[in-house]
Amino acid sequence: MGGGLIGCATAWRLAREGAKVTVLDSGDFGMGASGQNAGSLHFQLERRFLENGDALAEQATRTAALNRLAISDWSSLEADLATNLHITMNGGLMVAETAEECALLELKIARENAEGLRTRMIDGHEARQIAPYLSEAICAAGYSPDEGHADARLVTHAIAIAADKTGALLRPRCRVQSIRRVCREYVVRTAAEQFAASQILIACGAWTAHVAAMLNLHVPLFPVGLLMNATERVAQVVPHLVQHVGRRLSMKQTHSGNLLIGGGWPSRMALDAEGRFTLYRPPAVIEASLRGNLRVAIDVAPMVATINLVRSWTGITAISADQLPIVGEIPAMPGCWVAGGGSAFTLGPTFARLIAQSMSGTKCEELEIVAPSRFAHLNSFMGQ
Amino acid sequence: MTDHYDVAIVGGGPAGQAAALTLDDLKLKTVVIDEQPQAGGQILRQPPQSFRIPGWMEDRTYAPLVELLRRFEARTSIHWIGSHSVIGLRREPDGLFALTICSPDGLRSITAARVLIAAGCQDLAVPLPGWTLPGVYSAGGMQALLKAQRIVPGEQIVLAGTHPLQLLIAAQLVEAGGGVAAVLFSQPHGTMLKAGIRNSLRAFDRLSTAFPAVRALATLRKHGVKVLYNAPIQAICGTDRVAAVQHSGGEIACDAVGLCYGFVSQSSLPRMMSAKMRRAGPAGGWATLCDEWMQSSIQGLYVAGETTGVAGANAALASGNIAGFGIGAELGAISRDEAARRVARHRANRRSLLRFARLLDEIADPRPFFPALRDDTLVCRCEDVAFAQIGPVLDGRSANAVKLVTRCGMGLCQGRNCEPTLLRLLDNPNDPGFTARFPARPVPISDLAT
Amino acid sequence: MMRLDHGIERGRRIQIILDGERVDVFEGETLAAAMIEQSSAFRRDSNGMARGMFCNMGTCGECTVTLLPGGQRVRACLVPAQVGMDVTRD
Ligand SMILES: Cc1cc2nc3c(=O)[nH]c(=O)nc-3n(C[C@H](O)[C@H](O)[C@H](O)COP(=O)(O)OP(=O)(O)OC[C@H]3O[C@@H](n4cnc5c(N)ncnc54)[C@H](O)[C@@H]3O)c2cc1C
Ligand SMILES: Cc1cc2nc3c(=O)[nH]c(=O)nc-3n(C[C@H](O)[C@H](O)[C@H](O)COP(=O)(O)OP(=O)(O)OC[C@H]3O[C@@H](n4cnc5c(N)ncnc54)[C@H](O)[C@@H]3O)c2cc1C
Ligand code: FES
Repeated sequence: MGGGLIGCATAWRLAREGAKVTVLDSGDFGMGASGQNAGSLHFQLERRFLENGDALAEQATRTAALNRLAISDWSSLEADLATNLHITMNGGLMVAETAEECALLELKIARENAEGLRTRMIDGHEARQIAPYLSEAICAAGYSPDEGHADARLVTHAIAIAADKTGALLRPRCRVQSIRRVCREYVVRTAAEQFAASQILIACGAWTAHVAAMLNLHVPLFPVGLLMNATERVAQVVPHLVQHVGRRLSMKQTHSGNLLIGGGWPSRMALDAEGRFTLYRPPAVIEASLRGNLRVAIDVAPMVATINLVRSWTGITAISADQLPIVGEIPAMPGCWVAGGGSAFTLGPTFARLIAQSMSGTKCEELEIVAPSRFAHLNSFMGQ
Repeated sequence: MTDHYDVAIVGGGPAGQAAALTLDDLKLKTVVIDEQPQAGGQILRQPPQSFRIPGWMEDRTYAPLVELLRRFEARTSIHWIGSHSVIGLRREPDGLFALTICSPDGLRSITAARVLIAAGCQDLAVPLPGWTLPGVYSAGGMQALLKAQRIVPGEQIVLAGTHPLQLLIAAQLVEAGGGVAAVLFSQPHGTMLKAGIRNSLRAFDRLSTAFPAVRALATLRKHGVKVLYNAPIQAICGTDRVAAVQHSGGEIACDAVGLCYGFVSQSSLPRMMSAKMRRAGPAGGWATLCDEWMQSSIQGLYVAGETTGVAGANAALASGNIAGFGIGAELGAISRDEAARRVARHRANRRSLLRFARLLDEIADPRPFFPALRDDTLVCRCEDVAFAQIGPVLDGRSANAVKLVTRCGMGLCQGRNCEPTLLRLLDNPNDPGFTARFPARPVPISDLAT
Repeated sequence: MMRLDHGIERGRRIQIILDGERVDVFEGETLAAAMIEQSSAFRRDSNGMARGMFCNMGTCGECTVTLLPGGQRVRACLVPAQVGMDVTRD
């Protein structure tokens, strides 16, 4: 359930192994977060893990093993799919402007190196040698040679095509309306059809909690509205992924030449008639977010100042109660798998490969850190 | 810097002017914002103030509009902000509307208790092989070059399409001393006549007086300009610029082409506000739905003129008056009863003009005549997306989904040019079209950054 | 192209810089009008094809040019030519 990156990629992997798979999406495939995201392939520890205390940073560091797998999954994806997805892995810089930010970078890099990630600290001068578009105000950067970006417009679409060719049944515009567990099977209904499956995967992104509720389950994934900005196309100048350790920024240049500027700035989720968050209307742009986001971009790369903004869009992604992704089988519901939360573009192909492997019966230790079992207590009062 | 007004009007065409004058009469503090330097809208696109053009727009059909424009310009109590594009519109938590406006000198914010969108329309962009060659213009754009810049963009111009306005434009070009090689109508003469006759009863009162196409035909005859019917344009040829057009009956050498298939409402701002829209007439596009006072589905957001569906300048003028009284009544500057009395004649006038507009829509209906697309015909001019890239994903998915995988609609025009074509290709009456996004016009990053 | 000259007085003749070259234009006419007098082709698209202006009303973006030295990207069909302007089509 869910034809985003995770759903499609899992189907593709499973179908390649000979499983009989169906993917259902309420809309067109890849139109959720998978088609709205920034396309960053970031392997350095994310800024959001650094701004909420040591414990979280420590825990997040332990997901580094997943990042290592993601590097190799992205490196082989285009060859596996025999398509050009505009994947570039020319390196990424997480920049710092102040002494405190430099100190934070150092700590971060030490943690990453301990986990076997190839990041290194470079000074402002070296940063500008690698990336001449950076401002003089940049005093240091964490440099990861593996980082980069892929074209989020194309990835899920291409994987869906591959899944289809491999024999998976793809059903766009088929919203899952109910799920029942009957003996050892799950019966999934849409408006017009029903499907029986021995195993199901709920990969509905920000909608995951709604869909899990059909099984009387809690999955603590919360929708958050984010903002992205695209400029007009300009000559290629930014071959890297650029992030900031102390301020929210992700910046890259697409294959077509647009600069994409984001970095986790919030947008305002729409409310329904009852005053609850709704996922069915796009979040509104928060002016302060827009202005703040573009300011960081100019501070980091002054040349963006004169380029025209052509589009700001908002998208909804899912974040879990503890910020780490939730990926694995639900302990109380054998055969029911869930995957979502966090940076599941970067990690999506890896999650998909590991879930497919686990569903086929080979246990994956790498997924333990993100297993849903850590929230089992939420379902201890939920009757099956 | 934020200035506050009772009413902010987007667009200084006939609709915006009429509404502003009404609101000003009612003593409401009103601002009119337009990205053109001067008021007038598309129909009276004014020449630069440094030009002297004796007899500019002297033709009697324009007289009421010119009179309105002069009154508007003389009314100094209405605040005019020209050369500024409205790029964003939103509702603040306190209920006020906030408009973000920009010019080459930077960005400004305006708040207003009520907003009227009178943003007019644009030419329907119709892709065909060769339409991206330099020298191919939208016919309205070509006309505006003549009206406001006194430039004729060629010596052998071809106008082609389905809309009778091209007769008028061709006549204006030859009268000004320009050379028109031909006017090509895709539809047979009979179809146009039949539509005219079928509707003659309801539109009879206007056909003779308000249909200047008849006079234009005479002018064209006098200048020996060929007007061909049943001659759909199929391709435009040339390497670095226009050299000829091919139509069903042959080839015509030319150095400029004006495409004239009708007009579509400018809809980005109301759609940004999630106002309820309807698919507009045969030319496509989105018209904003409104009530009898021109209020959209969003409380406090009014619409007038071509924003509510393309119906011509006089209908725009009438609807601007209605909107002015509607807003005035809502803000307590006039009683509802009095407002209703004052708008009665504008409503009656508008009703009859809308009937005429429907006749024109029928005569100009481009749907049977859209040129065939070749694989390499660009559907999206901004992002250079060819028909070959779009064809394979026309599998029932939405316009937004096609946009995502093909980039069709992702460029500087924000999809204004390609959306009608894409929706036509998708042929799904329930497709809501591209999600409208900020900004409504491109804006430099530095203007927005704090 | 032709700037019509009978029955019209244009503004003052001024010079602007267009792609590094001085060109005579009339004060107040749009940059697009001034450019079209030079050539109807404004730029090349990603297929290398020549492209010009299209809508002449600010909606299509085809006429976007860069103003130097600031670097702002503006729609030439909306911006009046003024003394000293330095415009590039890149
Ligand atoms: C603006 C933005 C920027 C981001 N930037 C990055 C980034 O740079 N790098 C990164 O790694 N991550 C980024 N992310 C996060 C990333 O996009 C998501 O984590 C990832 O795409 C999630 O993929 P998914 O397949 O789980 O979910 P989605 O892509 O959201 O797919 C879920 C699908 O489920 C479908 N669905 C919902 N309800 C039902 C139902 N009842 N029945 C059937 N189908 C249903 C939806 O239609 C949707 O297609 C960003 C997210 C956003 C919003
Ligand atoms: C190029 C062109 C030529 C035309 N020529 C004729 C003709 O010769 N005869 C005829 O009968 N009809 C013509 N029309 C139809 C014409 O639009 C209407 O008859 C009439 O002008 C409509 O009046 P209006 O007030 O609704 O809109 P308009 O007159 O179009 O006025 C709308 C104004 O809003 C401004 N605007 C729009 N969006 C924004 C924004 N985001 N920010 C700031 N300003 C904005 C525009 O610059 C414009 O000045 C033409 C249309 C076009 C597009
Ligand atoms: S020619 Fe279309 S925006 Fe200027």
